[in-house]
Amino acid sequence: MKLLRPMKPLLAGAALALFAGAVAADKLVIQAGKILTLAGEEIENGVILIENGRIAAIGAANSIETPWDATVIGGPEHVAMPGFVEAHSNSGMDRTNENIDVAPFLDIRDSVDPVAYYFEDCLRWGITTVNLQQGWNCVVGGQGMIVRPHGMTVEAMMMRPTYGLKLSARPKSGKSRATQAQALRTAFGDLRRYLEDLVQSEKDERGFAKREALFQGRDLEGEKSEGKAMTGKAWTVAGLELIPRGAIDEKQAPLLDVVEGNQTIYFECDRAMDVDTALSIARDNGFLEKTVLVVDADCWEAFDAIAAAGVPVVLDGELVHMHRDPLSGEETEKFAAGILAEKGIPFALTSRNSSTQSLWFQAAKAVGFGLDREDALAAVTSSPAAILGVDVGTLETGKLGNIVLMTGDPLKVTSLVDHVVIEGAHVYDRSKDVRNKQLLDGTQPSGTQAEPTPTVAKDEE
Amino acid sequence: MKLGTILFGLATLAGTAAAQSLVVAAEHVYTAAGDAIEGGFVAIADGKIVGVGPGVGSGSVTGDERLEVHSITPGLIDLSPRIDTGAYSVEQTDETPIDLSVGDALDLFSYRWGRELRSGVTSVLASPADLAVIGGLSCVLKTGGAPLLEARLLNKFGALRASMGSSPSSGNRPARGGRPINFYTRRPTTRMGVEWQFRQTFYDALAAKKNGTRLEGIAAKRQGVLDRVLAGDLPVLCQAWPTQDIRTACYLKEEFGIEKMILDGAAEAWREPELLVRSGCGVVLPPYVAGRTEEGAFYALDTAAKLHELGVPLALSGHGGRDHLDRLMHQPGWAMRGGLPFDAALRAVTITPARMVGVDSRVGSLEVGKDADLVLWSGPPFEPSSHVIGVVLNGELVVDPRGN
Repeated sequence: MKLLRPMKPLLAGAALALFAGAVAADKLVIQAGKILTLAGEEIENGVILIENGRIAAIGAANSIETPWDATVIGGPEHVAMPGFVEAHSNSGMDRTNENIDVAPFLDIRDSVDPVAYYFEDCLRWGITTVNLQQGWNCVVGGQGMIVRPHGMTVEAMMMRPTYGLKLSARPKSGKSRATQAQALRTAFGDLRRYLEDLVQSEKDERGFAKREALFQGRDLEGEKSEGKAMTGKAWTVAGLELIPRGAIDEKQAPLLDVVEGNQTIYFECDRAMDVDTALSIARDNGFLEKTVLVVDADCWEAFDAIAAAGVPVVLDGELVHMHRDPLSGEETEKFAAGILAEKGIPFALTSRNSSTQSLWFQAAKAVGFGLDREDALAAVTSSPAAILGVDVGTLETGKLGNIVLMTGDPLKVTSLVDHVVIEGAHVYDRSKDVRNKQLLDGTQPSGTQAEPTPTVAKDEE
Repeated sequence: MKLGTILFGLATLAGTAAAQSLVVAAEHVYTAAGDAIEGGFVAIADGKIVGVGPGVGSGSVTGDERLEVHSITPGLIDLSPRIDTGAYSVEQTDETPIDLSVGDALDLFSYRWGRELRSGVTSVLASPADLAVIGGLSCVLKTGGAPLLEARLLNKFGALRASMGSSPSSGNRPARGGRPINFYTRRPTTRMGVEWQFRQTFYDALAAKKNGTRLEGIAAKRQGVLDRVLAGDLPVLCQAWPTQDIRTACYLKEEFGIEKMILDGAAEAWREPELLVRSGCGVVLPPYVAGRTEEGAFYALDTAAKLHELGVPLALSGHGGRDHLDRLMHQPGWAMRGGLPFDAALRAVTITPARMVGVDSRVGSLEVGKDADLVLWSGPPFEPSSHVIGVVLNGELVVDPRGN
């Protein structure tokens, strides 16, 4: 009887324990009535063995021996699939943009809030990888990172720190499209002039930059004490090898990384006309090959230009562009994701930072509009994984053990996420998710005051 | 059940209007009037349904055009499409412009009707904006057809629109002396003021009825509308999001013996469903949002399922969302995710709302003699992976699944 007595102090911490208490088991076995590997055939009545965070074996139940010391989850009632991959998100952080135009020196790690509801929601919806980038309200934004939506600290969540940099062809509020484009070009022009001045002052033996760096306490040791010739596909500054890398102003260094092709750019485009601005700036500064366009469905008219440039796309807005003819007043719809697929542009869908429009829903909607089921599922798993360059998105031996167990087919409206495993750690169990229960039937979790707030504002006409 | 009945009399009519005869066959025909038909058809002639049944329905109408799709449901009906002309759709010199009809303020040339129609909504209840306590008469109309009210109207007296909560009191400021009362110093300014305005209106109506007061002009017209409400001829569609406003509306219904009261936007109906059962209110639920919605109301996912189990008349609505997610076609899916059975979800967007506003003899189910309003689906209805690929309105194929 003692065991049945409610333990009040524990209840208050239940919500936290659910999301933070999971410990990676060395060996985890996942059983499922069906496994959608998204890399070939489905497996009926299958088993996945995860060792040290990676998939060690996957196949039919009778073909894989369960190690005696493995933790086992799942069962024949479950459908297993790779965790969803959020290709681009501005959620889960404090304000998404600093109010200065050019801020490549900022890093999102100082803004991410590990206990934000967004990350809880990610697990609830089966998202196991999130590319967090700054918002569009900038000219040059700061650096982002790829995270697992699980962990009590930013460090614990990090999958790839200092990854990606936001540029925006969509005008920052208060700017016209012309001033935005000019500000973008000026940012790179300023970098070039700054580097040329550095080289010149070094040649003049004034060593000003070096002294300034030392004065500011910047690192001039290790590889940063070396000067390196500038690499770059579009333009270079001769003589940069004279300058120790650590002497380059921190405010400029991240942009130099971009021009040298060492950083991925997430270039925001709101309308079709923004695409040309983005592509030309990427070309002029040599980072086209490292560019991912973050587009709204409105950009569909520029998809030919995108296909010709060979850059991948994150479709961050609605799947459908609605256009109202100014003369007839009639509204027509264009299914943007379908056009991307038709033109062979690699693309990913996003949940638009909303819990009800999560990735399974976006993929299902895309199927509704006529996209092949395989393509739609790829657009929320393997395709974003390829864009981000992370080892997830399909269930194959050697990939990271990011797995979702659902109650049914992932695109069916009644299917729910039961379990989430990230790199072998069992991080989500619906039966212990008190806030999910609240969302379902209104039951206030005991010992909590917090409640979810609506995550998305309604579009105003 | 009249499944499979074919109205032979209309075959001759179809001959004269060959272009308007149509047979749609489907793997699943969801009639909203009894069980689904596996492998069935709907035959249409001259704007009406002339046959529904199993099989392919060949020869049901002469000169017919034929289509085959995955599923058919009746045209969807939205009692809260929120298509209005904004502040211009409601009179603001008065808190209770009861005799005014929103029909006179609708912009039938608006692209928004087409947006609803394309996503399968064929009939709606249009209401005045909620800036007055009792905003006037809502009317039921089709979302397509000639842009004339007479051509689209199903019921000019669909409901009397009322609103609890902060909408009719927000924007109003208390008069603090000085300038005379104008637009911007209207009352009420609080929830209790809103409730009182409603109560006063009905109290006066009851008193006039009891005393046999002779009224003239506008006062007589208003009394006429309220008499219809008190007689049970006209439902009151009352906006009430949080449980506080739901209670108020239920108590007002009981206090004045209002026979038909429908709560609109009742996101918190899950909190005290027994009260809804006791008072006999119907409910129109808003489009699904996880957690908090308007007026701070918490919207639990199983609200529709709970109300259905208790037998509360239930309709779902889309609020005219721009985004496809918010459209009515997805709301039954969310309700099913919360545990509502498919059949109940289907009825909540077809026959139940039709009954609530008295147009069920014309629309709301696939039965012989009813208006030929059909939604054609690419897969199982209400699944996000299915899409509305065709719409038939008044027998006319307004969205053609074969493309244009």
